[in-house]
Amino acid sequence: MGLKPIKVSQLNSYIKRILQTDPILGNVSVIGEVSNLKFHGSGHVYFSLKDESSKINCFLAAGNLAKLTCDLQEGMEITANGYIYLYERGGSYSLNVRDIEAAGQGDLAIAFEKLKKKLDAEGMFDPAHKKDLPAFPKKIAVVTSETGAAVRDILKIIKKKNDYVDILIYPVLVQGPNAAGEISAAIDDLNENHRDVDVIITGRGGGSMEELWAFNEEIVARSIYSSRIPVISAVGHETDFTIADFVADLRAETPTAAAERAVPDTGQLREYLDSAAEQMKRDLKRLVDNRRQQLRLSDPEQFRRDIQGRIVLEQLRIDNMRSAMEENLKGMMTGYKARLSILKEFLDTADPKSILAKGYSVVTDEKGAIVKDAGALKVGQKINIEAARGQAEGQITRIQKGEKR
Amino acid sequence: MTEQTADKKTDKNRKPSFEETLKKLEEASEKLKEETVSLEDAIKYYEKGITYYKECSEILEEANQKIETLTR
Repeated sequence: MGLKPIKVSQLNSYIKRILQTDPILGNVSVIGEVSNLKFHGSGHVYFSLKDESSKINCFLAAGNLAKLTCDLQEGMEITANGYIYLYERGGSYSLNVRDIEAAGQGDLAIAFEKLKKKLDAEGMFDPAHKKDLPAFPKKIAVVTSETGAAVRDILKIIKKKNDYVDILIYPVLVQGPNAAGEISAAIDDLNENHRDVDVIITGRGGGSMEELWAFNEEIVARSIYSSRIPVISAVGHETDFTIADFVADLRAETPTAAAERAVPDTGQLREYLDSAAEQMKRDLKRLVDNRRQQLRLSDPEQFRRDIQGRIVLEQLRIDNMRSAMEENLKGMMTGYKARLSILKEFLDTADPKSILAKGYSVVTDEKGAIVKDAGALKVGQKINIEAARGQAEGQITRIQKGEKR
Repeated sequence: MTEQTADKKTDKNRKPSFEETLKKLEEASEKLKEETVSLEDAIKYYEKGITYYKECSEILEEANQKIETLTR
């Protein structure tokens, strides 16, 4: 029975006709949560609508996007009106959306806020509970997908920065229904059976909210919280925040950032060590030099040398003083001598003998007093005459009184 | 925190970690900088510091990174 075999294109064309002539599928409104939202460069929008158990691909033409009254966002609960369209070439169908109405936040977003509130109230995000990362880890465990971008980025950074730390890759699923259980079990197992691990990085590369969802599960949060080993969360991109980020000891923006924060640069450490040793050498040398200087200052020999130096200086000073005084004295003597010769010259001119030489004579009485007034003499009185050369005695014979000349 | 310190105490025989040794090196180096340190102490700190420096360097010299993937 049945038809003879037909071509694929014929089958798809037939299905398309059935779908597109169905009165219900030609105008249908669907409630669901927006996910995998992609704004294409052409202006068209591609996304999925989903509920707990199923999803459908949706297409929103650029022209219809412009007419929307709400902002389309990932995780948003919406009612989309449109028709079912079959893409013949791929044999896939989608909801071609005409209009969208927002219907509150998506279930996932609500679940996220609810869990966040609950764990926060329990104190699981308390900064006081957060452990310090070791400055020099010996072994790092990476709990993530073995094949994902995250593990590749982490290995690349660590190997570049640090040639010491051992890396244990703990492969787990990072999306899907089993992911949260695996991540949680891995963290617990590391704490129990790998005690040499001193940091755990757990995370994954970027994705939609559903793809990152495992890191929003309570079971993962609890394992991170109770981990004895410090945990760095590294989920998605900078803008993605998960419950794991809040509870982790350190939230890294990306897996790359987690690797950067987890290990010190061993090259820099070597340089630091060498410079510390050099610095100590310099400090000790400076100290020894200081002490040597102090010792030199308190050495008696040095003291003697210092005193001798002082003595020489003082000697020089008093020698200088002496010669200055001598100079001074010499100057005074010369002054006196000059005055003396002037005086002598003056005296020479006043010497009576020089007057006698001019032909005058000095007459004195018997007592040797110079006769200045002839009237004071008496006739017969003896007088003495002193000439320039020789002396003579005489006797007054006559007196003639006269006016004083 | 308290759990961690307890772990360290029970693990008495292990070699001091790089972190601890580096910290001691930094302490010795700081003490050496103090103006009032006596020459005897300074020499002691210096010798200790150089010992720590050598220990740290040795740890780094032994660097032999292992990367393994756990099989399930």
